[in-house]
Formats: sequence, structure tokens, C-alpha cells
Amino acid sequence: MALQTPVRDEFAEVIGDLTDPATALDVDWEAMSEDEVSQNPPAGEDPRALFEEQALPFLDQLYGAAMRMTKNPPDAQDLVQETFVKAYAAFGQFRQGTNLKAWLYRILTNTYINQYRKKQREPYQGTIDDLEDWQLGGAESTTARASRSAEAEAIDRMPDSAVKEALQAIPEDFRLAVYLADVEGFAYQEIADIMKTPVGTVMSRLHRGRRLLRDLLADYAIERGISIPSEARSGQ
Amino acid sequence: MSGDCGCEAAKTNLEEYLRNEVCKTDAADIRAHLETCPSCQGEADLSRTLTEVIQRACKESAPQDLRDQVLERLRSIQASHG
Repeated sequence: MALQTPVRDEFAEVIGDLTDPATALDVDWEAMSEDEVSQNPPAGEDPRALFEEQALPFLDQLYGAAMRMTKNPPDAQDLVQETFVKAYAAFGQFRQGTNLKAWLYRILTNTYINQYRKKQREPYQGTIDDLEDWQLGGAESTTARASRSAEAEAIDRMPDSAVKEALQAIPEDFRLAVYLADVEGFAYQEIADIMKTPVGTVMSRLHRGRRLLRDLLADYAIERGISIPSEARSGQ
Repeated sequence: MSGDCGCEAAKTNLEEYLRNEVCKTDAADIRAHLETCPSCQGEADLSRTLTEVIQRACKESAPQDLRDQVLERLRSIQASHG
């Protein structure tokens, strides 16, 4: 990853000195004037060709993220289309050499929050960060835990469908943080820029989201009788 | 942190360590601790496994015609803006 921001504690402050201007931009896409759109045009090359060449390869990845957001293919396709349309309109503002992927994800996330989340039945979970773990139903299990190696093995054997189901079951902001970190490999600072939250919030969402996922997957394993090796179980 | 075997610091920052989000000094401490602590190693393996399983489950390919639809939208914008 491009950013190597040292983060020492859970509530580390957002580091102000961003090395990636593209993700640092706080752009109100709706309010952008023509002037702003046309500034900094990619020199020398046809901008349309450049955009298609550089941005289109992210189509599958953006679709994957859109699927996790909207939870259904038609909305995911619409969301991706909208994202590309907006990105194309603003491409003159993208600085060549900076992180295009992070820039596209930022537009995707903005578009999703502004246009799609409002429409969905799932209520806005703006206060999710304030909830205690027990309120989310994911407090550390009081029953004896299997050893870490047994748990890892059980998780490794999970069918993809169960993992996706578990992802859909956790609060949206947690899911998105987990997706951006684990699937896309974004650094904390990049996720903070994409989600417009402080780095400390990103870390908290990530930890709590993964904790919930682990619990859900453990429940799934027990329900389905996915066996946990007995030697490992008695190991610790 | 005298008297601490290192588990506490390692477990607190384990995920950050695995994501290269801790400073070099802390990373070296955690790495050294992991080499000698099976319990923290187990935690690290579990953390990596969870990430791999999530990656595996989330692999998606966009539908074939989405690319064409996107290109069509872009071309129609270009046409309308000259």
C-alpha cells in the first residue's frame, strides 16, 4: 500500500499530511462547476481513451464492492454505472500518478450513500459506532471457545455463501470497513478518506466487524456440525 | 511494560501489525514476541485466515454486459457534450 501511516493506538489522530492528494480531496461532486471539472486535464492524451484505459479495469472490483453494498445485482450494476459516469465527469480533477483505485472507491461510496442507502429498507445506522458490543449481539461468547487453530480451520472450511451471509448480517459501516481492508487491501488512512471518518473509527469498525464475523461463522460451524478437530479442541 | 510477557501489546496491535499499520519499532517487538508465543501465533493465523476467507468469498465478476453498458453511457455523454 502506498501509505505507511504508523498507527500506535486505537484512537490515533488522523494524520494530516496525506501523501495521496486524490484521496485527500473532499469533493462535493454535485456542486462542482464546469471550471473545476475541466482543470488539470491529462496532458497529451485523449482524456476519454485515458479514462477508459485506466478506470475500466476496476470494473469487476467496483462491482464486487457494489454487490456488498446494495446486496442485489441490478442495484449493483446501476451503482457501478453511476460511479463511472461521475468519475468520467470529474476525471479532469484526478491527478495522474495518485491512487486511482482509492479515488474511484470514494466516488462509489459517496454515490451509494447519497443515492442508494436512502432507498433501502435497512435503516440508516448512523449511531452504530456508539452501540456496545452486547447490543450488537456479538459479545465474546461465554461458552468455551475452541482453540484458535481449530477455529481457523473451521473458518477456512466455510462455504462462500455462509461468509457472504455473515457479511450481510453485520452492520453496514462495519461491513464496508472490513470489505475495504480485507478484500481491497486499502490502508487505514485510505479507508478513512473513503468513508469520511477518522482513522480511529475505521479501526474500531474493522475490529468490531471482524469480531462479529468470527462469532457468526463460529455459530454457523456449530449449527452445521462442522467438526472441530478434537485434538486441537483439547489442546488449550 | 516490565513484567508483561508481551502478549498484551501483541494482541492489542496484532491486526494493525498484520496490516503493516504499526511503526517499525512496534512491529519488531510484535514480530519477536510472535516467534516465541504459540498463543499469539494462533491468534495471528486465525486473523489471516479470516481475511483470506473473506477475500475468497467476495470474488465477483461483473456481468458481461455491464462493461458495454458503461461504455455506452460514457459515449452518449461524450456525444451530447460534443
